[in-house]
Amino acid sequence: MTPSRNTPQDDQLRRAFRAYASTLAAEHTPPSAAAILFRAERRRRRAAIERAERPLLIMQALGTLAAIFAAAWLAYRFAPHTLPTLDTTTLALAIACATLVLAGCAAMLHASRSPSA
Amino acid sequence: MPSSLEHAAAHSATVLSELAFQRLYDANATSIHSYLLAVSARRDVADDLLQETFCRLLLHPKSTAHLDPLELRRYLFRIATNLLRDRHRSGDSTPYADPPEPSTQPTPDTTHDIRAMLHHLKPRDRELLWLAYVEGMDHAEISAATGLNRLSVRTLLFRARNKAKQFLSPASPSL
Repeated sequence: MTPSRNTPQDDQLRRAFRAYASTLAAEHTPPSAAAILFRAERRRRRAAIERAERPLLIMQALGTLAAIFAAAWLAYRFAPHTLPTLDTTTLALAIACATLVLAGCAAMLHASRSPSA
Repeated sequence: MPSSLEHAAAHSATVLSELAFQRLYDANATSIHSYLLAVSARRDVADDLLQETFCRLLLHPKSTAHLDPLELRRYLFRIATNLLRDRHRSGDSTPYADPPEPSTQPTPDTTHDIRAMLHHLKPRDRELLWLAYVEGMDHAEISAATGLNRLSVRTLLFRARNKAKQFLSPASPSL
């Protein structure tokens, strides 16, 4: 049995549906094709930007991981029990390096979260 | 390594041209819009889902490049049906809050009855009846357009049709 079988009731139902469909079509015009093309173009551009930004995001993640490992290594290497054995210049350099790495990571994360132009 | 000219040629082959899209849109937009209006019963939702349906087609031109116009039409109905179901599943389903009531009614009784009947039915029944009676699709085409099994379409359509007839029969207390 197919939906298009011609029983009187089916035929009535089909006519009623089609009358309603034509009323709907006459009363409600669909949005213009230009609006859809514009929406698709905007979405295509957004997807292209996301694709282009993906390597940057990967590099940011890798940078953050490297900073965490560097900080952990520095903390282990210059732990309080080893501090007395270090001279002041080495200690100052180590602290400066760690601060720079962490500040760089923070700046990178902040830049990635701020809205792009 | 392909030249920029080869890149441009490949791009134009996979992207639907504006003219081709306009033709495709003119041929299918009204029927898909009516379908979305009938099932969702909301003008704003129908407009949004229609735009989304064609947007998806434009963004994935490779998957539709080999389809003939009839298959493309079914594919569009499939996207529209999936979007309707996604909307329904996401909980944003307040059907008939803003029913598309026509201002001029050439056949007021029929229009009112069908509107009331669609209101009474489940969204899936509305989809099946619309595709069968307005779009004139057979079971295989409805199956392709809705993603339902062909045998399920047969059973579900039979039940939906009976519900519709019951609702529209003169003995029905709702009329």
